[in-house]
Amino acid sequence: METGGAHVITGEAPENVRLIGGEMLLWSDMSNMGGITDWRGTALELVGRLVPDSGRVLLVGPHPQVLVDDVVARAPSAAVLLRSYPDACALGERHPGLAVFCGRLEVFAAEQPYDLVLALDGLLRTHSAEASAAAWSESLAALAELVAPGGRLVLGVRNDLGVDRFLEARPADREGADDQWAPHGFDPSYPSGPEALDRGLESAGLRVRRCYAAYPGRQAPRALLSREALAADLPDALTFPLSARGGDRMLVADPLRLTRLVFRHGLGEELAPLWLAVATAASDDDDHVELPLGLVEEGSALYELTAGGARRLPDGEELPIPAGRVVEEILVEACAREDVRTVRELLARLAEWLEAGGDVTAATDSLVYDGERFAAISPAAEPSTPPGPKVVLCRILWRFAVRLLAAGHHHPWPWPLEADQLALTLCGMADRPCDQGDLDRARKLDVELGCPAEVAEHAPTYRDLLGARDRLADQLTAALARISRLETKLSYRERELVRAKAKLRRTQRKASAFRRTLGYRLSRRLARPGKVARKVIRLLSG
Amino acid sequence: MGRRGHYLIGAPWIYLLHLEPELGVVPERKGTIWYPFHGWEKHSVSGDHARLADEIRNVETGPVTVCLYWLEFANPDIRRAYESRGFRVTCHGERGSRWEGKGRDFLRKQLVQLRRHRRVASNRLGSALFYGASVGCEVAVYGDPMQFEDERPEYGGTARRMRLWPELHGTHVDTELASEVARRELGFEYQATPEELRRMFGWKRGART
Repeated sequence: METGGAHVITGEAPENVRLIGGEMLLWSDMSNMGGITDWRGTALELVGRLVPDSGRVLLVGPHPQVLVDDVVARAPSAAVLLRSYPDACALGERHPGLAVFCGRLEVFAAEQPYDLVLALDGLLRTHSAEASAAAWSESLAALAELVAPGGRLVLGVRNDLGVDRFLEARPADREGADDQWAPHGFDPSYPSGPEALDRGLESAGLRVRRCYAAYPGRQAPRALLSREALAADLPDALTFPLSARGGDRMLVADPLRLTRLVFRHGLGEELAPLWLAVATAASDDDDHVELPLGLVEEGSALYELTAGGARRLPDGEELPIPAGRVVEEILVEACAREDVRTVRELLARLAEWLEAGGDVTAATDSLVYDGERFAAISPAAEPSTPPGPKVVLCRILWRFAVRLLAAGHHHPWPWPLEADQLALTLCGMADRPCDQGDLDRARKLDVELGCPAEVAEHAPTYRDLLGARDRLADQLTAALARISRLETKLSYRERELVRAKAKLRRTQRKASAFRRTLGYRLSRRLARPGKVARKVIRLLSG
Repeated sequence: MGRRGHYLIGAPWIYLLHLEPELGVVPERKGTIWYPFHGWEKHSVSGDHARLADEIRNVETGPVTVCLYWLEFANPDIRRAYESRGFRVTCHGERGSRWEGKGRDFLRKQLVQLRRHRRVASNRLGSALFYGASVGCEVAVYGDPMQFEDERPEYGGTARRMRLWPELHGTHVDTELASEVARRELGFEYQATPEELRRMFGWKRGART
């Protein structure tokens, strides 16, 4: 909050920063970058297509630096509206040619409307603490006024019922941080769903060109999927990677499982963490910009979704998205059913595929299998020295074992308790026995390939903790029952032993008493006549 | 298979076939090996062996080997019932148990015999027939199924076997079908790999491997 305080004190604002009223002098939105969506490749691509060759562009609200820099570089004339004075000064210094307005959205009176207005951060950070918070619809109306006839608006809207809201144990907007002076969630005009968003835009005099759902989360979206794309049955290869484990946040449930359900139930649009609407202020269809069906980032590569598949940008060919189920899901299902036969067969086929020159960077979570062949979801860069197929297989299976155990899935193997042992068993099931040396090499390969399977900072989800607690409680009950059974047995044996000892002692006493009797001693003598005879002879001769 | 706490690896027989692909193979297979339903150490079987032997003689055209369980083999009356009709009578020996090491070669002896014969038959559908079908024998189930003393009804008895495998009963059974059923019943598809078994049972790698 104190960032940029020097400007306030010295009053040396860069020349291109204009204060318009309602500016927040001791406040920075950029200092809390965690709250700002980290737009990357997908948004850059989308915005890049919308920036007009000649025309004015306005950015409203905080945007990540990369995006601002990109827009400033592309647009012939750009302006930014920010509420934070320090942020405005910092931006003004970085881009001396950029017009930076600092203040509230509602009081911003543009000299001329803009051909493209970008408000990817939404409208919540456009009002100041000095005025009462404007309703979403009011802010939108103010924003819509800034759009020139025929101009375009890109608006980000956080979904209050996005899948991330089901996942997070501590949602950011319930932490009661400083920026929540007007708590979110009580504004009836805030869009309650895709249709409400459309209605809101229409009532502001805008026409929706395309609405995108951003996945996997609102912190760092990697995919923008249009409503039209989501209406079609998207292949697993596309939807499986769209779930994110967010850093060190405490989660309620495994994001992968919930996100998969969202897509399976066809609710990808309704439960998107964030919507990105592209609207125009044109009444007729004179806007000829081709909007992509979807944009997906995979590592450093960016793909555009097309009707027939996907094409790698900027100039890749259109290729169909591989069909089939994700190998990890087939295996998890087989494990849950204890169907070791399917596991054996699939692993053996996987091994054959690798031996026939399959992708060395493959993993069960990045491979789909359509019953006949395997296909990599996102081919990654190969390691510097290509490892042998055995090590590749070992790495795939080790990674699967780690993920299987971490997700707490049921599996049929009672004997190995840790991922290493399970991985070696899985190698054995593929009939490619590996040893500890292979496993070490496999682990190195996993690290080399990036996105390692073992991520230490992942806190277990709340459901996993509950599951683990229940398992431990069961095991404890079983162990206690066993102890009590063994104790009963032990005390019984103990009694038996005491009884046997007493009996033994009694018998010994009886025996020694018997040995002392005259009859016994006589009979002993008589029973050994040889000895007696020798004694007598010795006496006689001696 | 829907049962928890079990690990499917198929019958021991499939591992024997895997290890001994050539054991007992003869250039020409002859005759029938007949396994009359047998009792075991705790229960004997009541039935008329002489009548069964007559029925076998009426059905079978080639030479017949009757394989008896060691308990019945030790009974001269039962042996005589078959020997008197010109059948060769044999026995695979004792089965052994968990506590005594007898009968280690039981399955091996059975494999040798089955590979010598063209047909395998019994009066009850049992493991011997599945074993036979798995090594290419024709299969037949006919004759009085006989009765266990105190046969436990919860297993369903002969009626259940007739319900489950009606196609395998009769003096002549479709060989391909029988071999398919045998593969399923013996769990060929569930055969585990050597390394998997080693890890499962905690076996150490032997000097031989």
